[in-house]
Amino acid sequence: MKKNKVSFVFALPAFAIYTALLVIPIIMALGISFFKWNGFNEMTFVGIDNYVSLFQDARLGNAVINTVIIAGSVIIIVNVLGLVLAMLVNRSSRVNNFFRTIFFIPFVLSAVALSFVWKSILSYNGVLNGFLKTVGLSNLVGNWLGKRGSALICIIIIEIWRTLGYHMMLYLAALQAIPEELYEACTMDGGNRWDKFRNVTLPLIVPGMSVSILMSIINELRIYDVVKIMTDGGPGYATETIVYNIVAQGFSNNIVGYSSAIAVVLFLAIGTLSVFVVTQMGKREVEM
Amino acid sequence: MRSKEKNERCANAIQKGILVIVGLFVLLPIYIALVNTFKDSDIILSDPLSIPIPPILDNIRAVLENSNTDLLELYKNSLILVVAGTAITIAVSSLASYYLARVRTRFSQMLRIYFLVGLMVPYVIVYLPLCIFMRKTGIPFNVTSLIFIFVSGNISFSTYMYTNFIRALPVELEESASLDGATAFQRFWMILFPLLKPTTATVMIFVGLGIWNDFQTPLLMGNVQTITVGIYTAVGPYSANWGVVFAYVLFAAVPVVILYLLAQKSFVAGLTSGALKG
Repeated sequence: MKKNKVSFVFALPAFAIYTALLVIPIIMALGISFFKWNGFNEMTFVGIDNYVSLFQDARLGNAVINTVIIAGSVIIIVNVLGLVLAMLVNRSSRVNNFFRTIFFIPFVLSAVALSFVWKSILSYNGVLNGFLKTVGLSNLVGNWLGKRGSALICIIIIEIWRTLGYHMMLYLAALQAIPEELYEACTMDGGNRWDKFRNVTLPLIVPGMSVSILMSIINELRIYDVVKIMTDGGPGYATETIVYNIVAQGFSNNIVGYSSAIAVVLFLAIGTLSVFVVTQMGKREVEM
Repeated sequence: MRSKEKNERCANAIQKGILVIVGLFVLLPIYIALVNTFKDSDIILSDPLSIPIPPILDNIRAVLENSNTDLLELYKNSLILVVAGTAITIAVSSLASYYLARVRTRFSQMLRIYFLVGLMVPYVIVYLPLCIFMRKTGIPFNVTSLIFIFVSGNISFSTYMYTNFIRALPVELEESASLDGATAFQRFWMILFPLLKPTTATVMIFVGLGIWNDFQTPLLMGNVQTITVGIYTAVGPYSANWGVVFAYVLFAAVPVVILYLLAQKSFVAGLTSGALKG
């Protein structure tokens, strides 16, 4: 009889792997974050000192600002442009299907591979500057990745390039779920394009929009690969992001306790932001 | 009336214009990487946009003959990680979801939430403690341990997808089979699992592509040279031999792009449906 029952044994392998390799390390990180430790020698308990130090750390502060600048710009642009593109390719036709295919390509590529392509274009001795010299515009040649401002803009452009097609697809799925009758009803009432967008499209894509915004927040707050390859956090620490900072502190400088504290705070921040976005957008949802 | 028609045509032209401009923005870097793989390195900077006729194969050859990074080894490692990681993820997650979807006890509800928390974890929090844990317990940093690390990171997403899908399937199918004296596992394996195909396809692409493209995990978790880490170490952070860089990128990207163009719908579904069902 017992053999016929679905029991916990079915979930045991997943439970064991997930607990051992994901949950226990997270609990360990939480524990380690209360110690001063280099990963090898004796651990010294320091209470919440690591967490207090977070707020006085200028290098980390800079990494937080960079992450917010990158994430903020990318989140706004990919969501606005993603929605615009989705509306433009919404009607199924051969041309539109072609554009859908093209726009999504960067998202299936590895961030490492595509970062190297962009690096070859934007480096000081790269394709863009070489091209500018050849066509006689040497005065426009710039060290794009060598200065904080332009390097951050480069990273933002690459992130937009990489994720735009993904967000377009999320919005496209939301648009295609809107029943055609609602647009027809709007036309009958004498509504123009703007009315249709304002009164039909926008309210009905709120669930899709919240998903898209949430995914862009989660992805951009964790940005690492592109920064690692484009600038390696440089020049100096100028383009470091939060995750880059955690890896650099923990793995290169062996400041294990402190970097764990940063990681714990990032985890909490992402969790809180996710819950906030979901509940805020939940309020604006309309019943279909 | 006439001006309305004119407006319409104008709007249409603007729409097409936007699509073409964004399309060029998306394709230009890919085009540059593709054509310049087959050019001499000193022409790339002065003439990056021309089509190379005849194509020069020096860069491809440089990659194939690089004695420090064996391309076959990179492909082999990445492929083993992708195949084993995806297969194990599918096996353990679909089994667990059978329990989570069909047994409605308080414990199974809590277990479901326990698995869901992993979706929000910034994975960077895991690397250091895991490294320390493995060093202390003597678990080796090799392909096998890396496979299970990848599995642990993908269980949240996969059980979530499978549990939702199984809940939507009628229970009667399995019950009729249990009359014939089948065990729970036989019911799962012979009746339920084949029905899960759409979700299995989604999970396969999401997990498989994620492992193939992952850079941080193999970089930080030990000594396995995957295709992404291989490019990074072969090219080095400061190389400016762009032709060779492009050739490496091509070797990493071409398998993925070909699969994407062949199975475009599954790729889009695999990479977006997880988010959409949230």
